[in-house]
Amino acid sequence: MTTHVRSQEEIAARVKALESIMIEKGIMTTEAVDRLAEIYENEVGPQLGAAVVAKAWTDPEFKARLVADATEACAELGIGGLQGEDMVVVENTDDVHNVIACTLCSCYPWPVLGLPPNWYKQPEYRSRIVREPRTVLRDDFGLAIDDSVEIRVWDSSSEMRYWVLPQRPAGTDGLDEEALAGLVTRDSMIGTGRPRRP
Amino acid sequence: MNGYRTDVTELGEARRRVETLVSRLPSGDGERSFDHPWELRAFALAVAAYDTGHYDWSEFQLSLIESIRQWESSRDDPDADDLDAHWSYYDHWLTALETVLADHGAISPDHLDDRTRQVLATPRDAHHQHAHREPVAIDPARS
Repeated sequence: MTTHVRSQEEIAARVKALESIMIEKGIMTTEAVDRLAEIYENEVGPQLGAAVVAKAWTDPEFKARLVADATEACAELGIGGLQGEDMVVVENTDDVHNVIACTLCSCYPWPVLGLPPNWYKQPEYRSRIVREPRTVLRDDFGLAIDDSVEIRVWDSSSEMRYWVLPQRPAGTDGLDEEALAGLVTRDSMIGTGRPRRP
Repeated sequence: MNGYRTDVTELGEARRRVETLVSRLPSGDGERSFDHPWELRAFALAVAAYDTGHYDWSEFQLSLIESIRQWESSRDDPDADDLDAHWSYYDHWLTALETVLADHGAISPDHLDDRTRQVLATPRDAHHQHAHREPVAIDPARS
């Protein structure tokens, strides 16, 4: 075992297999694993998406390219790779709030968002967010979307992975890109939260 | 359906607790960093199983040290390939976790091998290849 070098694909599959067995055997719960992963998740991925969002907030031309072709625009910043091939960014506005789900599996643009939280993968979230998005956002995520705003739920698939460009918070005019990136949360790019306030 | 949100203070305390645990382990490159999603997953699995009392942390620690030691001794073998290029801290982490769980009879290595083959044989998103170009649901503005 020590000299055989496993490919990333093999070892990722092994971790996935181990997790599924451990959960089946009741060694721990998916929630417990999620909570632990959450401690470090900002070191895996969402900071990349946050940097993209911050750039879009400060550079209108980049934002136009991002909305037109997220895969290309992210590649400009050296971001891309496995499972990020066909990313589509949907922009939140005063009139429209977007939220992403995957109703069949758990497609997720992880090059920009890091690991999906387990709740994203659970059938309960997937089915309810499609059926009653306004209620789920309010009750489960504490995110009240004004009645004057339309909510659009986007279904990611392996061919097309959506993520959300949140609105820039008010009162951030003086902030540079780095400071702005610090306000962008994973949930704000899923559409189940808003960016932090400065 | 609660439990989606974690209070920031709670997160900070959880992190301090985990940092105390990992500070007793041989460190990879001096800091806790993850290059691949599976690494974080493997990391969380080991701590979660410890939290539920499936082994003592010292057992995991010894198992991790042993896996790294074996790798180091194979590196000294003049016939070995250039193993330095293949150093992966979390590869050892995973090996340590498997070993400890198997020692306690919590998992069987054969079962894990089988399950891994199954995962590898399943095409990614096997049943979900089609692009969806419109929102799947719209909740219109109400005022």
